[in-house]
Amino acid sequence: MGFPLLYLCSMSLHRWSLIGFAPPRFIGFDNFAALASDDRFTASLWRTLYFTALGLASNIPLGLAIALLLDQRFPTRNLLRALMILPMVATPAAMGLVWTVMLDPSLGIIRYLLRLVAIAHPPLWLSDPAWVVPTLVGVDAWMWTPMVTLICMAGLAALPPEPFEAARVDGAGPWQRFRFITLPLLAPTLLVAAMLRVMDLLKVIDIVYVMTGGGPGHASETINLYNYLVALSYDKIGYGAAVALVLFALVLICTVVLIRFRRAVA
Amino acid sequence: MKPRTILLVVAGWITVGAFLGPLAWMVLGSFKTTVDFLAFPPVWVFRPTLTNYAQVFADNNFPRYVLNSTIVAVGATIIGLVLGLPAAYALARYKRTAIGVLLLAARMAPGIAFLIPLFVMFLSLHLVGSFTSLIVSHLIFTLPLSVWMLVGFIEAVPREVEQAAQIDGCSVLGVLLRIITPLTVQGLAATAILAFIASWNNFLFALVLSNDTTKTLPVAVLGYIGYNSIQWGTLMAAATLITLPVLALALCVQRYIVRGLVAGAVNG
Repeated sequence: MGFPLLYLCSMSLHRWSLIGFAPPRFIGFDNFAALASDDRFTASLWRTLYFTALGLASNIPLGLAIALLLDQRFPTRNLLRALMILPMVATPAAMGLVWTVMLDPSLGIIRYLLRLVAIAHPPLWLSDPAWVVPTLVGVDAWMWTPMVTLICMAGLAALPPEPFEAARVDGAGPWQRFRFITLPLLAPTLLVAAMLRVMDLLKVIDIVYVMTGGGPGHASETINLYNYLVALSYDKIGYGAAVALVLFALVLICTVVLIRFRRAVA
Repeated sequence: MKPRTILLVVAGWITVGAFLGPLAWMVLGSFKTTVDFLAFPPVWVFRPTLTNYAQVFADNNFPRYVLNSTIVAVGATIIGLVLGLPAAYALARYKRTAIGVLLLAARMAPGIAFLIPLFVMFLSLHLVGSFTSLIVSHLIFTLPLSVWMLVGFIEAVPREVEQAAQIDGCSVLGVLLRIITPLTVQGLAATAILAFIASWNNFLFALVLSNDTTKTLPVAVLGYIGYNSIQWGTLMAAATLITLPVLALALCVQRYIVRGLVAGAVNG
């Protein structure tokens, strides 16, 4: 497993193309230098960070809220917990296509549902450059918020009951108990969920490829998709390898920051 | 029932229902004729049809893609388990932290970072488009997944059992085969299912490394959206056929899913 990565590092230092007969040529760090002036790369990098930020901001609170709901005792709760796993195991490529049809601006069911709540002119979703990223984040949130929920439910189940009883005796209301007991005690769990989400959000590609192909224009081109296109469609292997290393470094840095942060909290 | 309980049941079902909606709509759509499918506002009561499914299977390639997906997923799962079990045993019993760090790196690394070098390697070996290339590439994620899962299951086996076997003259390999394997059979099954799902669902590796004869389902399903026409019902039927097996499998192992996700992250 280490070998492909070492090979990748070596590739990133070469001008490397598979078509034609020119052998790979060593060019030092030129590929990395070229990245700085590649507007399409920079744009995809910022777009990916925007995607990740939106994803975290939606997944974590929503996932926690659902976990708090499903943590209550009521009939059919266990069935609901089991069903909650389905969106994240459904084949992403297939679900991307199903969502594309659902979001269709003229016959999509989303348009119909919004009309029921009196939204007559929704955005064009995947065709609107300003809306395409939030829309994709929405589809990603549908798929992966359940993971945050499951992690939070496991965390909630492991919380000690004593602080809650003490707070109840002292007359703390539900909101106070949540704010001053649940949230601090659950913080390490939330950070684990955030870490897993960040790893995957920064690498998002499947649903983007299937639903928009990076379009309209480059409005939804994430760094991973750009990486794929550069290396395997435009045949710039060396340059693509450099992009892949930058993406890897980005995931690594974000994860390490979150691990550190989690240690500080716990 | 108390009003509070009723409120919770309603809220719970609405919330989870929203998450199941797209899946339900996909299955519903797969039984609709084109006319019903294109109706706006959507029709909820309609005469179900099996034409879409007939259409999917009339396309000679679909069974072929099912077979491809199965070959690749089974291959990547079995090899991942065979290689992953000893690794997990070492990790659980001898605490080789280095492996743990490496596995976390594998979890973080973007697939494309492996895909580019693998593609070039397979190209020079003339293996692009072969099942070998697909299975080997899927090992990139089924192997770490198997190790993560199995470490947890092996740690739950009491050491005393192993020590007793060793005193009776059992080698390390013997312990692995005669003690660990039978005692973690349930865990092995759960791990196998999770690895199978991961491989079945994989899109990017198959997109790059498969060709027309070895194409797997996630890549093949793209074919139902053409540039000028979309066969709506057929698309929904194909999506349903691809997704249902993994949904059913996932429900069998639902209580292990979180463990797999969390354990891998926390151990590093």
